[in-house]
Amino acid sequence: MLIGITLENNKPDVRKPKDCAAEMAAHLDTVAKERCKASFAKIFGYFAPRLRSYALKQMGNEAIAMELVQDTMSNVWQKAHLFNAEKGSPSTWIFTIARNIRFDMLRKLQNRKEDICSDDMWPVLCEQTADPKEKSLEEKVTLQQVGELFNSLPDKQKAVIEAIYIEGKSQQEVADELNIPLGTVKSRTRLALQRLKDMLETHD
Amino acid sequence: MINFHPSNQQLDIFSNGLMAPAESLIISAHCDMCAQCAEKVALYTEAHSETVFDESSQKLDPSLFGNMLSQIMTQEIDKGIDSEPTNSVLELDGRKFTLPRSLNRFSESIGNWSHLVGKIWQAPVNMGGDVVANFIFMEKGGGVPEHTHRGTEMTLVVNGEFSDGLADYDSGDFMVMDGKNIHTPLTKSDEGCLVFSIIDAPLHFTSGWARLINPFSHLFFK
Repeated sequence: MLIGITLENNKPDVRKPKDCAAEMAAHLDTVAKERCKASFAKIFGYFAPRLRSYALKQMGNEAIAMELVQDTMSNVWQKAHLFNAEKGSPSTWIFTIARNIRFDMLRKLQNRKEDICSDDMWPVLCEQTADPKEKSLEEKVTLQQVGELFNSLPDKQKAVIEAIYIEGKSQQEVADELNIPLGTVKSRTRLALQRLKDMLETHD
Repeated sequence: MINFHPSNQQLDIFSNGLMAPAESLIISAHCDMCAQCAEKVALYTEAHSETVFDESSQKLDPSLFGNMLSQIMTQEIDKGIDSEPTNSVLELDGRKFTLPRSLNRFSESIGNWSHLVGKIWQAPVNMGGDVVANFIFMEKGGGVPEHTHRGTEMTLVVNGEFSDGLADYDSGDFMVMDGKNIHTPLTKSDEGCLVFSIIDAPLHFTSGWARLINPFSHLFFK
């Protein structure tokens, strides 16, 4: 029984996805074989509002939700020939397309974070924007370079760092061993780490 | 033989489209390699698509959709593009690795390999967001110093075998590590081992010289 709806009569189609799976699969087949616009309109009529409400829940933004609907339905139109009824129902296939598009959109949104922030569309994300300086360091510095920088520390600081980080001693043990006050060990450690950090930041 | 899989809960969240992009990617790559999990995902997806579309709005309001339908139908069809996707190959030092299909599309976002100490190589993958993704290659006898995790680390073995003092892993194995796990990944195989890993916070090194780099570990592993 083919009882689809068209945009014109605009009555909600309340059937469950599985109850119209065979019908939708047949429409997909005609779209694939004949580029049948009437069939695609039936598919669109059933899935577009459902996708919109899913997307709205997921993305929380009308414009982005509609982008997801548009991209998903474009894929259905373009790739109907890839639908294989033996592998699953039309709703599962379309849901999978929407899921993958959502995933790509989120990635792009994250990459576009700064643009979005400047437009003040999604202020929450601004706080998570990484320090651009940190990123350039990440790309440039290797562990070996840390080793080299370590060797350029003053001898007194190097001794303290070596004892604590490499030999695994406590600051008190280092103080006892070197016969210096605990406070001195602490300040040398702090200075050495600060120095390494400064060197890393200016290193190219 | 794949022995370590995502939990059913993770597969379920992935199937429902509720997972963050980077996590989705690594789960999806595991499913490319693991028929068993791919099967589960197919079942969960079927169930979710049924529920999601059943619970959602059923009315096609023309004021919301405007001319979207006619616009879509004016699009040209390019059937040629959809031939069987081929797998990308990742190259390092003359070695070639075939990537799982899900990672294919990121092959262009893979940065240069850098050589770290301990016979390990690292190539960052630009994923966007706060998660850091890396391919890590351990040469024979190479490994990452003993560490625990400030956040969560997800790892997929793309090619090869390694051990970390907790278990032995083989191609396709997937594991999640967090602050409760201390491990020392190391490979003994002649071919070395390539893994894909994502972390959301820097590692914390727990022994030896590597503790020295803790204050800076975010520079290397996050």
